[in-house]
Amino acid sequence: MSTETLTAGRHRRAPLWGGRFQELGMLLPSLALIAAFLLLPFLSSFRIALTNERLIPRPVPARFVGLDNFQKVLTDHDFWQALWNVARFTVMVLPVQCGFALAIALLLNQKLPFRNFFRGLFFLPAITSMVVVCVIWATLFQYPTGPFNQILGVVSFGMAQPIDWLGDPAWSMPAIVLLSAWQAYGFQMIVYLAGLQGISDSLYEAASLDGANRWQKFWHVTMPSLRQTHVFVLIITTIQAFKLFTQVNILTQGGPRGTTETLVHYMFSAGFVNQRLGLASAVAIILFFIVLAVSLVQRLVVRDRK
Amino acid sequence: MTVISEPLSPPRRTASEPRDIGGIIKLVAVSIIALVIVSPLIVLVVGSLKADRFQILADMGTFRAFWVENPTLQNFRDMWVFSGALPFGRYLLNSLVILFCTVIGGVFLNSMAAFVLAWGRLPGRAVILAALVALYIVPQESIVLPLLTIINRIGLSDSFAAQILPFMASPLYIFLIYQFFIQIPRDIYDAATVDGAGPFRIYWSVFLPISLPVLATVAILLGIETWNQYLWPLMVTQTDYARPISVGIASFFGTGTVYWNNAMAASVMMMIPVLIFYLAFQRWFVSSFISSAVKG
Repeated sequence: MSTETLTAGRHRRAPLWGGRFQELGMLLPSLALIAAFLLLPFLSSFRIALTNERLIPRPVPARFVGLDNFQKVLTDHDFWQALWNVARFTVMVLPVQCGFALAIALLLNQKLPFRNFFRGLFFLPAITSMVVVCVIWATLFQYPTGPFNQILGVVSFGMAQPIDWLGDPAWSMPAIVLLSAWQAYGFQMIVYLAGLQGISDSLYEAASLDGANRWQKFWHVTMPSLRQTHVFVLIITTIQAFKLFTQVNILTQGGPRGTTETLVHYMFSAGFVNQRLGLASAVAIILFFIVLAVSLVQRLVVRDRK
Repeated sequence: MTVISEPLSPPRRTASEPRDIGGIIKLVAVSIIALVIVSPLIVLVVGSLKADRFQILADMGTFRAFWVENPTLQNFRDMWVFSGALPFGRYLLNSLVILFCTVIGGVFLNSMAAFVLAWGRLPGRAVILAALVALYIVPQESIVLPLLTIINRIGLSDSFAAQILPFMASPLYIFLIYQFFIQIPRDIYDAATVDGAGPFRIYWSVFLPISLPVLATVAILLGIETWNQYLWPLMVTQTDYARPISVGIASFFGTGTVYWNNAMAASVMMMIPVLIFYLAFQRWFVSSFISSAVKG
């Protein structure tokens, strides 16, 4: 947006005050709602984080406690486990989700009959609500007779013991990763599709003239051309991963033994379940700065490129 | 915004050409992968037609998960209760009310604000725009608890308003529409002012009618977001009065035994409205998600 476009409506004929009032009337409702329900809570989370405020106010007024909440959070083993789990989740979900999304995008980017139909099918999980995904996948993960355990039995010729996917500390996070990736990969898929379609055919033709095979074309033409798309997809997926909550709250409540506790679930337990608003606000602020940092990395990388 | 729709138009050459055996193999491979990916949804729909939860669990590990011998709609009939332990008819209606109010209100409020920011004469528009872009980064998750105290203080807890008002106006959607509006040629705006129309008239009868693509994008994104809300209604609704279906379905998991037949029927009901819109506006759905991504 240049200044030219920003002032697009300027220097028209005599300014009508009636017009300006109308404009104010059109702009104010949105601004008022955003101020009241986004800006105000955001700013007050910084204030609340410095007090011992409770969700349901006690007779004693809330006290200023300085950085106590941050100290409590940062010395709480459960918080670090939540952070570690979210990092673990991110590291696992990134390759699975983005890799699968890229693979499907590559498949759909070729000459293929019914391509729009397939794209529509592959996008279906992305419009499925996470709550519904939890209902489905909880049955798929059933112990000991669910489909995943049956497949495990067949693949291992009955050698492997059935796994309590959501109840076993070793498998709970991979199970959450799998269902999350299934639900969300469609978004990355269409972003990759858009990226693939932006690659000029002449690059592939040039590579063919140089005698490149398909594999070489993929590594030396497709992947470098998708660099911007990769950065974007990785950043968006990372931010989403750090906000992990719904599936964990429904399926595992952070268990077993804290192996699926996440930042947002920790905040939810502290602030909503245990009513410790100050403590939860400290976590919310930490989450905000993590998201901010990841977004800034994106800005830097993208700007660097330009 | 429609960048990807055009090149994806059906290719001329189809697999039916005899020499294209590779094409047929590719088609079969894609079909199998698609079937595997969509199979959980098929299991859901089939399961919702089964008699009870024992049947569903017994069939789950076998190929009978994809087949139902005596389909029954009883699980769906069970849903249409408006009082009692889990009044799913009520939850579904609540969700629909919240959806329509948020989307219709949101499309109008955001587009009005975007119009003033793009073409208005009010001073300070650039500052407001910059502030909105900065606010866009704040994740919902990190403001919900203070928002809850605000909602409680103004007496809106456990209400529809608490689930509609905070999400109608949004920096992201104002910015999306703003970017569309500033690309509209100046002549169109000038012609309207010459006719002596005020800002609202110009917005309403000139800009809105030619902005359907971006308004549809905002409606779809805001609609999906509203329909799938979970954390916020979980905290703000204490009774069934305004509880949406997402929280209703999640409450199946609270107890020891999960009634999978009812949970699956409720899940199918939750998917149906989205599916109808998806089938009707598939192309717009996909391009909406792209534009939210590229602008974000």
